Amino acid sequence: MRRSPGAAVAVAAVLSLASALAASSGFAAAQSYWVYVAAESEDEVSLLRYDAGGDLVVEKTISTGWLPAEIEAPHGVFVDPTGEYWYLTLGHGFPNGQLVKYETGSDEVVGVAELGLFPATIAVPPDGAVALAVNANFHGDHVPSTVSIVDLATMEPVADVPTCTMPHGSRFSADGSKHYSACMMDNQLVEIDGASLKVVRRLDLVRNAPAPEPMDDHMAMAPPDGHCSPTWATPHPDGRRVFVPCNRGDAILEVDLESWRVVRRFEAPGAPYNLDVTPDGAKLLATLKGSAQFGVWDLATGERLHLLDSTMRVTHGVVATPDGRYAVVTVEGIGGDPGTVEVIDLEAGERVASAAIGKQAGGIALWKMEGP
Amino acid sequence: MESTGRIGLHAKRPLIGKTLVASAGVALVAVGVAAGAGNALAQEGVRVEVEPSALALEVGDKAQVVARVVDAGGNLVDVPVLFVASPRGGLAVDRSTGEVEALKGGQYQVVARARVQGGGRPSASVAVTVAFPPLDRIEISERSGRFYVGATVRHKAQVIDQAEDVRDVEVTWSTSDESVATVDRFGYFTAHGTGGVVLSAQAEGVSAELRYRVVENPVAEIEVAYWKGPRPSGTLESRPGEVHRTGDVLHFVASPRDAAGAEVDDMPVAYALEADPDAIATGDFPPAEVDDQGRFVAYKPGVYTVTASVPGHSARETVEVLPRHVAEEVELVGQGEVHNVSTSDLWVWEGVDGRDYAVTGTHSGHGSIYWWDVTDPASPVLTDSLVVDARTTNDVKVSEDGELCVISREGASNRRNGIVIVDCSDPRNVEIVSTYDDQLTGGVHNLFVYEDHVYAVNNGVRFDVINIEDPTAPHRVGRFQLDAPGPRIHDIWIVNGVAYTSNWGDGVAVIDVGGGGRGGSPSNPVEMARFRDIGGRTHAAFPYLSPTGRFYIFMGDEIGRPGFDGQEAGRTPEFMAGYIHVVDFTDPEQPEEVARYEIPEAGSHNMWIEDDRLYAAFYNGGLRVLDISGELKGNLYHQGREIAVYKSYDPDGVVANAPFTWGPQMHKGNLFFAEYFSGLWAVKLQPRRTLVP
Repeated sequence: MRRSPGAAVAVAAVLSLASALAASSGFAAAQSYWVYVAAESEDEVSLLRYDAGGDLVVEKTISTGWLPAEIEAPHGVFVDPTGEYWYLTLGHGFPNGQLVKYETGSDEVVGVAELGLFPATIAVPPDGAVALAVNANFHGDHVPSTVSIVDLATMEPVADVPTCTMPHGSRFSADGSKHYSACMMDNQLVEIDGASLKVVRRLDLVRNAPAPEPMDDHMAMAPPDGHCSPTWATPHPDGRRVFVPCNRGDAILEVDLESWRVVRRFEAPGAPYNLDVTPDGAKLLATLKGSAQFGVWDLATGERLHLLDSTMRVTHGVVATPDGRYAVVTVEGIGGDPGTVEVIDLEAGERVASAAIGKQAGGIALWKMEGP
Repeated sequence: MESTGRIGLHAKRPLIGKTLVASAGVALVAVGVAAGAGNALAQEGVRVEVEPSALALEVGDKAQVVARVVDAGGNLVDVPVLFVASPRGGLAVDRSTGEVEALKGGQYQVVARARVQGGGRPSASVAVTVAFPPLDRIEISERSGRFYVGATVRHKAQVIDQAEDVRDVEVTWSTSDESVATVDRFGYFTAHGTGGVVLSAQAEGVSAELRYRVVENPVAEIEVAYWKGPRPSGTLESRPGEVHRTGDVLHFVASPRDAAGAEVDDMPVAYALEADPDAIATGDFPPAEVDDQGRFVAYKPGVYTVTASVPGHSARETVEVLPRHVAEEVELVGQGEVHNVSTSDLWVWEGVDGRDYAVTGTHSGHGSIYWWDVTDPASPVLTDSLVVDARTTNDVKVSEDGELCVISREGASNRRNGIVIVDCSDPRNVEIVSTYDDQLTGGVHNLFVYEDHVYAVNNGVRFDVINIEDPTAPHRVGRFQLDAPGPRIHDIWIVNGVAYTSNWGDGVAVIDVGGGGRGGSPSNPVEMARFRDIGGRTHAAFPYLSPTGRFYIFMGDEIGRPGFDGQEAGRTPEFMAGYIHVVDFTDPEQPEEVARYEIPEAGSHNMWIEDDRLYAAFYNGGLRVLDISGELKGNLYHQGREIAVYKSYDPDGVVANAPFTWGPQMHKGNLFFAEYFSGLWAVKLQPRRTLVP
């Protein structure tokens, strides 16, 4: 069995069924999961394997970048829907960052494309035709930035689509028809059409109203505490809603895609940062960066199911396994702390494994799940 | 599903011989867009068909590429299509509709890729030829005027089209009267007889001309002399008794004169070199060189003759070049071991108590900084340390009065980074005075402290100027960003109120921050000059006013391992490449790259210059000391100018026995340097000892 993230609803449903069958028949313990995790202050990517019920093992460490004496900041990771390639953003460049295409297994570089200033998250639709990388531009003025589109077959940059200020966190809907990203400095959620790859609409998450396009070169002020400063956008598998964490608002917002309004708010003290939703659509997963925690919410009831302290500080990324049994969470650490990867049993609400990798573990992508 | 049989053509003018018509039943790409949501899962035999198969356009034309996606049975598959043009810059293509606009002449292709789930990524491409715009003009390198019978000068032509692009087209040379002058296909123009003659260059309907008046060669005699160092005043005379060494630059100057003894100063002179080096191996590099201005430098000891020629006359001068003999021995003085983390930059200074101190940063670690008492450099004593919220404290600098240390931060947990200002007046008890991170969130990689201001390189695009007169209340007073497409900056160094910034592909920029006489100040930096060296990977720059009166800027590359994009990164050891470019900035309006220091096995990093010596860190190539006395020309590595090479091996280093030299600094006769894997080192140069039988 071989699956990759971003699977369609139908695929998720099959997986969910398989998971249930496996759990009931005792096969679950034989499942293995592989994830790629970027260590931003180490210029490394680690490939880790978790055997259900066993240890989380670092199988391989891949060094990245061109300059051994400069930190080039690998940030976002995404595995191609075919599972044959994985993609990595390098934040620091000359000055633009880059999208690097690796072959899974050999982990050799097979292509490079130039992006914008400090690209962060990558998203690839299920057809695998393009990558959309948000240019967070952490080190520039707070002016509107872009989402870079790259043709993944040729690694040719296709376009830079202006969105808003400091875009960070993006995902495609399960069917690839829409792409969502959020901008930390002007509180916008931006929807890009998956076919035309053009901005369709914007939502001001504070005013809960459609937002205008930011003016060129207009300096955005950092949102004060109590506002939103969204850092991620994760569509629900049902295609009807998107979840956005307000990193400075200690809340996670549910945006209804039909009305294009915030319709529900999950209290999430601790600076929620990255999100994922289990493939069955039942659970919302969030890292709480400020409080170094990880939270799980029941999307049917809105109830928080679990809140776990990390062993280290600064939780960052999270990905649900395709069978919905586990969340794999990255933790940056501070200073000389190692980066940490933790596996959380979502049913039990317990950390079941962890492993140390390079400093500032951040971007994470699930490569494959194998087992009976 | 909508379909149509005819596609609109939006070209400004009709395409030659083409009318884009799709067959009945073709699904326009607009169908795919309208379908938008819901990519089909992969099907066997899905393919893309495009029309037309090729396009011929002129700049400004628009055209429509139409694609349809069909399965093995020929049935339309309702998926979006992505249109991509390559290479970039020549075509604008609407990624969802396939409308193409020609921007620049050349050969391109538009790929139409079906957005089908499950792999395969079927696609088809359209070859697009965009006609180049007509040529506009030819520019010839020389000027009209007087020319002499027998003389030959090469002319070069640059062909420019109406889009102001330089075009690579064949140029045909001719003269109006071959009895007066001829020209060959390389542009070598030779005069044979007196009279007027027109030299023409032609290419695809455009031409340029130079008009020469060819006169008899008046030269009756020629003399050649040479000088070294600053040009002497008065009549030039060679000094046969003068000793010349490898690396010395000699200026050969020819004086062609007519029968009356008047100098013919517009007669072209050709300089040629006859070499008799003391020793040379087969296939070795040339032992010496002379350029078209008569500037000569020898790489190997030997006897060299430079001949200056004009039609019918020549003169020669022979010089002997001896070995440079500058090598010295390096004596290890001491080491401040740092074995727990990689060491980055250093600064050594005399403290307010009169003792000598050093501060070292760390790289890819835990945000630590170390202070050392190096009054006795044989025994550096760790006096204090700090840990700040960072992974890398790449740069450390100290105020002129020795009271404040300023630390750069990268990898802070809150991603705000910036700088940390430390009271280091007592290096045994350092204390953080303040931090400053406003709009320095990308991380400060390098900085310089100059006259109560910190010049902080905000990773990527600009430097910020932060006033620290009151170190408890630092505040920004200025910033500077190069006016260039995609500006980039890596380092900054300030001498006498002039900043020298290193800007990767934009080279070095010279910026008045108060001492440049252009009205600049910390709050109003004013660019004075800019120079892009050959290669364009400027990582560090160090200015040096030589006792010769020449003002050089040493520009160091930083180029990483080639293995990363060479498919074998895992099997390629890390190493660095690049070299130090020497640019003569004596005339800032006409800077000239005159020399380089390139060693075969390693690339350059930070440097320090003092008293005609370059101290350069070359990563795995260790610490190098180079004699840069006199005028500089050619590759200094081959001129016997290397005074010393020192590689520091530490079996307990972060990586054992792995020299990776980061940066040097000379202080009170001791050469301190930071080693990436092993900390702070001090060595001393000693005269070379000779064996006594």
